[in-house]
Amino acid sequence: MKCAHLSRLVAVWLIVCAVWKASIVQGARDFEKKVSMLLREEPQNPKCFAEGRKDFTCFWEEDEERAGSVDQYSFTYTYQNENSSRCPLRALPAAGGKRLFICRLNRTQMFVQMDIKVHRLGTLIHNRSLLIELVFLLDPPANVTVSRTAHRDQLNVTWVPPPLKYMDDSMMYEVSYMTDDDSHVGQVEVVRASSELILRGLQPDRKYKLRVRVKLDGISYNGYWSAWSDPVTMETLPAELDALITSLTLIISFILIVLSLSMLLSHRRFVIKKVWPTIPTPDSKFRGLFTVYGGDFQEWLGQTNGGAWLSPAFFYSEECPSPLEVLSELSPCPPLPPKTSRALTTGSGEDKAIQTTSDNRELLESGDSALTERWRATPHDSWLMDRLRALQQNPVPGSQSSLLESQDAYVTLSANNHSGDQHLGDVLEEALPLQAIFASRKTALCESHSDLGSVQLSSGSGHLSSQSSFEYPGHVWMPKGTEYAYMAVADSGVSMDYSPHEQSGRLWETRDLRQRDPSS
Amino acid sequence: MMLLCLPSPLRPICDLRVLNHFIKEARDAEDAMKSCREGCSLSESVTVPQTTVDFEIWEKKNGSEQAQEVQSGLYLLQQALSLLRASVTNTALHSHIDNSLRNLLSINAVLRSLNIQEYTPPASAAELEGTWRVSTATDLLQVHVNFLRGKVHLLLSDAQACQQDVS
Repeated sequence: MKCAHLSRLVAVWLIVCAVWKASIVQGARDFEKKVSMLLREEPQNPKCFAEGRKDFTCFWEEDEERAGSVDQYSFTYTYQNENSSRCPLRALPAAGGKRLFICRLNRTQMFVQMDIKVHRLGTLIHNRSLLIELVFLLDPPANVTVSRTAHRDQLNVTWVPPPLKYMDDSMMYEVSYMTDDDSHVGQVEVVRASSELILRGLQPDRKYKLRVRVKLDGISYNGYWSAWSDPVTMETLPAELDALITSLTLIISFILIVLSLSMLLSHRRFVIKKVWPTIPTPDSKFRGLFTVYGGDFQEWLGQTNGGAWLSPAFFYSEECPSPLEVLSELSPCPPLPPKTSRALTTGSGEDKAIQTTSDNRELLESGDSALTERWRATPHDSWLMDRLRALQQNPVPGSQSSLLESQDAYVTLSANNHSGDQHLGDVLEEALPLQAIFASRKTALCESHSDLGSVQLSSGSGHLSSQSSFEYPGHVWMPKGTEYAYMAVADSGVSMDYSPHEQSGRLWETRDLRQRDPSS
Repeated sequence: MMLLCLPSPLRPICDLRVLNHFIKEARDAEDAMKSCREGCSLSESVTVPQTTVDFEIWEKKNGSEQAQEVQSGLYLLQQALSLLRASVTNTALHSHIDNSLRNLLSINAVLRSLNIQEYTPPASAAELEGTWRVSTATDLLQVHVNFLRGKVHLLLSDAQACQQDVS
């Protein structure tokens, strides 16, 4: 404990000594500065100054060679209406081979004249009368601080005045400021009875060096200008654009951004389409192909028979126009003999009736207009009639008939999946003909079979059907140079999208409509 | 003159620029007297207040003592300047002296504004302490200036009324 306490005391003592020495050193430096300044500015001897309200210092300088010992000199001072007094002197070496003789008083009287006389060996060498309150030489202002203000061309300078009671209102300051590159040219601002100054009219974005000094104002007190404080550097804020220009720029930018966003939002579909184009898919043309059959085209063909799911556009596509052959209209009539109303569906004997034609492709390629033309009056009516008669004479077993009417001939190309006739089914499936049964005006559809009735497979086929029925009632359409396997199918066993469609007594029927494969 | 006509109580006059103005005018009078060669002598010695300020002593006095010392000094200066006014024949100095006399009255008004007690002069100036005797006009005006710069200035700068007003 004692050792710790002792060590603490030693540490404190060392600190105090260090601070004291530092203050002495600093004080000595300050004194040297003041002496140097007075030696330059004060012509009279002795040179005297007061640093506070109670101290007073006088000195003079002599060459080392000529100077005597300090005992040879006497410094006496006399206040008005008082007796004289002596001031003890001390000598200090000075630069340049000089010696200073210094008198320092720690108690003074102000506002009264003081007469000073210096004698050397009884000889008056210096004589001066002064008032102590008029020879102040203060320390420079402390804690000089420079800060920026809201304005780009201003700096705020503050400092702490010398701690002299009664004299704050009597102090005046000089603030010197210059840019870094102006080493010799600077400006000075004078401030009275205040320890703050705002410098205006400065250059933006420049580095300024500032310093301050103090002096009493000369009314109640007077003295010399103090030394300059240590310089403080501060950079002004960079120049800004005019506030109006800046605000207008911001407003215009905001408006442009809003307009751009509005345009993007209003045309977002277009933008999205351009940026992320939609990859076309054939879903629309093959209904159910992907959603139901998972892309299995063969299965899709088998289930749907091709025609029921086909879209009208498909019929009119360039690749495979449906070869639609309209023979005649079916009108409500007495049921025909079964043997006369049979469609070829199976059997090798049907080869004569069923023939693929090379013109199918031509028909397919001719398109809708060609089909329309086919429905007009053709020179092949007689040939069709012959074929129908042949069918009637050689009915296909297993077929149902109630459709054919004696005076109407029709040609149908169909592939009945339910007939069981593989050959015919294969052929038809390969050929994929489109068959349509049209009821004429004269015939009536009687005893509707299960699959009788107008069928509107699609809008396209319906279109074809209706067109042919309206325009060419009773006409038999025969494609030019074509040989189709014709058969009348009373009951295909497959019925899809059946919808009665009656116009003017006509009934249009379509059965087993198949899209002929253009590749076959 | 405006200050003389103002009724009390007065608003505290704490701005030392007023006193500074009086000091400057007193200095002008002193300078004018120094350059005067004729018709500018004092007919007799006069009693003037001491102007010496030893801060260690001054700060030990209370406000009342300080005010008393200042008010008595102002009284003595009024008496001395009045005698000088009668002694000087130089018309240029008359304006300076008259101005100085007016300023002394104004200072009394300032003291009254600071709630400083009215001064009752003694029957005889010899009874006063802390006085000097001067025989020349130059010395008189020098004392006048030094008194205003010193004790009067210290009293006004440290007036309680002004300290309360600032806080």
